[in-house]
Amino acid sequence: MSAYETQGFKLDNSGKRVVVDPVCRIEGHMRVEVNLDSNNVIRNAVSTGTMWRGLEVILKGRDPRDAWAFTERICGVCTGTHALTSVRAVEDALNIQIPENANSIRNIMQLTLQVHDHLVHFYHLHALDWVDVVSALKADPKKTSALAQSISDWPLSSPGYFRDVQNRLKKFVESGQLGPFSNGYWGSPAYKLPPEANLMAVTHYLEALDFQKDIVKIHTIFGGKNPHPNWLVGGVPCAININDVGAVGAINMERLNQVSQIIDRCIEFTEKVYLPDLTAIASFYKSWNYGGGLSSKNVMSYGDIPDHANDYSTSNLLLPRGAIINGDLKHVHEIDLRNPDEIQEFVTHSWYKYPDESKGLHPWDGVTEPNYHPEGPNFKGTRTKIESLDESAKYSWIKSPRWKGHAMEVGPLARYVIGYAKGNPEFKEPVDKLLKDLGGLPLTTIFSTLGRTAARGLECQWAAHKMRYFFDKMMANLKAGDSATANVEKWDPSTWPKDAKGVGFTEAPRGALGHWIRIKDTKIDNYQCVVPTTWNGSPRDPKGQIGAFEASLMNTPVAKADEPLEILRTLHSFDPCLACSTHVMSPDGQEMSNVTVR
Amino acid sequence: MSTETFYEVMRRQGISRRSFLKFCSLTAASLGLAPTMAPRIAEAMENKPRTPVIWLHGLECTCCSESFIRSAHPLAKDVVLSMLSLDYDDTLMAAAGHQAEAIIDQIRKKYKGNFILAVEGNPPLNEDGMFCIHGGRPFIEVLKETAADAKAIISWGSCASWGCVQAAKPNPTRATPVHKVIFDKPIIKVPGCPPIAEVMTAVITYMLTFDRIPELDRQGRPKMFYGQRIHDKCYRRPHFDAGQFVENWDDEAARKGYCLYKMGCKGPTTYNACSTVRWNGGVSFPIQSGHGCIGCSEDGFWDKGGFYDRVTDIKQFGVESNADKIGATVAGVAGAAVAAHAAVSALSKARSGESDQSKGGK
Amino acid sequence: MSLKSHEDGPIDEVAAGTTVYVYEAPVRLWHWVNALSIVVLAITGYLIASPLPTVPGEANDHFLMGYIRFAHFAAAYIFAIGFLVRIYWAVVGNHHARQLFYLPVTDKVWWEGLFREIRWYMFIEKTPHKYIGHNPLGHFFMFFAITVGGIFMLVTGFALYGEGAQAGTWSHTLFSSWVIPLYGQSQDVHTWHHMVAWGIVVFMILHVYTAIREDIMSRQTMVSAIISGHRTFRE
Repeated sequence: MSAYETQGFKLDNSGKRVVVDPVCRIEGHMRVEVNLDSNNVIRNAVSTGTMWRGLEVILKGRDPRDAWAFTERICGVCTGTHALTSVRAVEDALNIQIPENANSIRNIMQLTLQVHDHLVHFYHLHALDWVDVVSALKADPKKTSALAQSISDWPLSSPGYFRDVQNRLKKFVESGQLGPFSNGYWGSPAYKLPPEANLMAVTHYLEALDFQKDIVKIHTIFGGKNPHPNWLVGGVPCAININDVGAVGAINMERLNQVSQIIDRCIEFTEKVYLPDLTAIASFYKSWNYGGGLSSKNVMSYGDIPDHANDYSTSNLLLPRGAIINGDLKHVHEIDLRNPDEIQEFVTHSWYKYPDESKGLHPWDGVTEPNYHPEGPNFKGTRTKIESLDESAKYSWIKSPRWKGHAMEVGPLARYVIGYAKGNPEFKEPVDKLLKDLGGLPLTTIFSTLGRTAARGLECQWAAHKMRYFFDKMMANLKAGDSATANVEKWDPSTWPKDAKGVGFTEAPRGALGHWIRIKDTKIDNYQCVVPTTWNGSPRDPKGQIGAFEASLMNTPVAKADEPLEILRTLHSFDPCLACSTHVMSPDGQEMSNVTVR
Repeated sequence: MSTETFYEVMRRQGISRRSFLKFCSLTAASLGLAPTMAPRIAEAMENKPRTPVIWLHGLECTCCSESFIRSAHPLAKDVVLSMLSLDYDDTLMAAAGHQAEAIIDQIRKKYKGNFILAVEGNPPLNEDGMFCIHGGRPFIEVLKETAADAKAIISWGSCASWGCVQAAKPNPTRATPVHKVIFDKPIIKVPGCPPIAEVMTAVITYMLTFDRIPELDRQGRPKMFYGQRIHDKCYRRPHFDAGQFVENWDDEAARKGYCLYKMGCKGPTTYNACSTVRWNGGVSFPIQSGHGCIGCSEDGFWDKGGFYDRVTDIKQFGVESNADKIGATVAGVAGAAVAAHAAVSALSKARSGESDQSKGGK
Repeated sequence: MSLKSHEDGPIDEVAAGTTVYVYEAPVRLWHWVNALSIVVLAITGYLIASPLPTVPGEANDHFLMGYIRFAHFAAAYIFAIGFLVRIYWAVVGNHHARQLFYLPVTDKVWWEGLFREIRWYMFIEKTPHKYIGHNPLGHFFMFFAITVGGIFMLVTGFALYGEGAQAGTWSHTLFSSWVIPLYGQSQDVHTWHHMVAWGIVVFMILHVYTAIREDIMSRQTMVSAIISGHRTFRE
């Protein structure tokens, strides 16, 4: 099959094939292959997760109270979010109620991750797709200063400050050792920022690198370390002691002040640096509105950040919950993670085995049995030297999850689209404001690579303010005399039922995340994770429907076939997390066959 | 192409020669070296170009990279811009695809035997290594090729050092630590899931500063950071010695910061610097935040029973059990058997006594 | 005295009331010191793994865990030194003082005696053999529990002790430095130290029972023999 239509996209794999492997500046290992037509427009896209670690297999037979630590190690970038999902799944299965303070602390930790992850993604994983580091050397620091001061009152904005950074950068480049900037696509016509904006962005790249390490100290205070803080089934492990002897051995006023101060700095940095930078960069790229993919069609969010403890219903979740299909923003559908007919995972194009591969399996009944088998009439290479994959056969370590048969996009943009569709002012107003600030762009502009990147920035600001909300809420609760942080009624496995099953969900920075657990005789009987990058990076399904990564690359013109800048830009806008998606695998790649990214 | 030295880098950052020499003597002191070492440090820094580092990723979760950029002293940006030359790291680098792969080849040729290979994660050996694909090939091939030209290898984190979570039983991908596939290069293990940021940067700056690998223990870890257990330097140790323990989550003892030994803390069996260096610029560490140590820098810590058990499970006996349960059961059985045996013995002695009497009763 | 037909074998004919000097004074002293130290080690060892309930108050008012660990280490030193002295006595003492340290695995008579002893405990044999020293079954268990088990506990115990004593101390250099890497990590060493301790406890239960039983059933003194050193055959 060389050409067919699905989800409104015409797929045609007859043009020259370009391979990018590894896709860098992501978590994990990933490969992408595209076909370009004679005008260098992408007409077919194939994304492949190239690692598998087998965590679900490893979890079988273990203590459910330990599962958070294993699943947390699925990903060190979105660290903690899997752990939170896991403790929620176990608590759901065993019907454990957590104290209000534990809910507030968990929310603060989850929001800390959102802020940190979005910031690091924007500046350190994504910015180099928009920002030309080498061009920054040509900037006039005075102009950069003027630009910076025109968009923000962030104090670090003098001409001298930018000159120092530029000098440092200059010497670095002159040293001949370019380090992580080696072999970048500097000077490509796909870069559109003027030098002074590039210098401002590079300066903030370094500032953000310094600041991000302070954000996570909130995890360190409540969870002991970051990456990979500690969590607890039934609450949080840190006890609170405000008044009594020994308070210094627990969460006390000094610790809380530290958290509070970091929250203030998060709000400040997001509003004075991140958002102004985002708006400035977007203003130069607003005509480059490719990469929308599925976002204007099918998006989904499980919702997260429960206002009150133990209530996971739609109305109690501060991040919106629901699904939109076929671009109908008037209807936000309810989703049910327990319904075996809603979320299903397929493996027709994944390197796994199912008893019957024409059918999808609900995660509670999920099977994770690897079956590495690159094949198909168009496959080129050998088993251990892949030149080109064949998307008509199995071609990825990622499964294909579908909601009621639809491929869905998840992530900050999905959350904002759903929040907007629901008319929630917390999501609608910032979007409208941003569109207005950029010169009155239509709403449809958000269905793009840039829209995805912008939604992440808006969400970072939202999350920083919600940290303050939950911090204040916790302080009010402490003032009222409630300092409980854990419920140990069902800590002892002898209090558990013989059979139990549960589901836990969160909105990870990258999108909807769910863990499904079955417990039998106090041990894990089955464990399945369906993670954001599994949704977004999914390969084709039995109906030939493409996933969000693949859809987003469609119809994008590429300035230079041998420099995959536009491909990287769009893929990075999803903030791919491959170690997650492949249920703990990780791919890499590089090859190219017909034409080359050489 | 001129290649800048460490000293030049510091000078152009506005550091005077005087401050530079002071820095060198402080470095010597902080590393526990005699003051006479300071000139050597200064000399090394003045004359060396930045050492290239190739940072490869196998099966991992990127927590080591994330930890590395958390370093407060030195700052990650100073490490990357001024102290070493991080020429390849798929998590941070601008390039991708072939342009990225080309860098590995360049460095291997230009700095043969003079670059440091940092490995995060490990190679899986099952499915011909294709559980981790790098540029269409098994990661293990890339690892072996690159290692062949490296000066030394740093195994970042528990994945590269021991295997970590993907190597937990039953290790479906046969994930294998670096030292079990590379035999001809010095390997420095910096275990932990992840290792402490400042420990990571300290190990690498030690190597750059002294141009030698740190002194390692028998398991290949730098003695300076992995020579003592968390328990040995834990600030809650007085509660352990006093017999004051947290008995349950959020109980009175937990609110007073008592010892977490009974909650399964693995501090007494874990070699790491958490209780001294602490985490994220010294803010806290797991025990200080109320959760026991899970032993994440120890070999096979995933398979030592539950994280909340003090006496760990022994899987060899098939059923889940621990030494106390097995021991008490066997002792109980032995006691019961003794009692039963004694009863039968008494009975048979009584009988034989009777028959003796009847036989010998004249 | 011409009782001796075979060093480790049974004796056939012996007149009732015959008394033999079996256990020399150092052996007897060691036995009881050893017994006491094992009891202390077992109890304190258990309490180290599963501590007593929390004591209230200031940490510096208490040293409960410290005392328990001190008792464990002190008893361990006594056990270790006793073991060394006992080895010395095995060299200079009488034949019976050596039995603990070897198994006569090439000796057919010894094996026959072992199986006969097992049959005796299964109530198949009506009469037991008489032995001057240890009977083969007792000999077998003692060798594994006290000699092999004791050495294992000393090696792993001092390896764990050396971890706390730190690198550079004799216990760390002699034991921790190779025992911990051999197991991979410290946790497994704890687990096996614990397992073997239970093995020794089980041995002690059986040992006390069989000693008393044989004192009665075999018509030769057992309990008093390890006090006075003399074994008297009653019939």
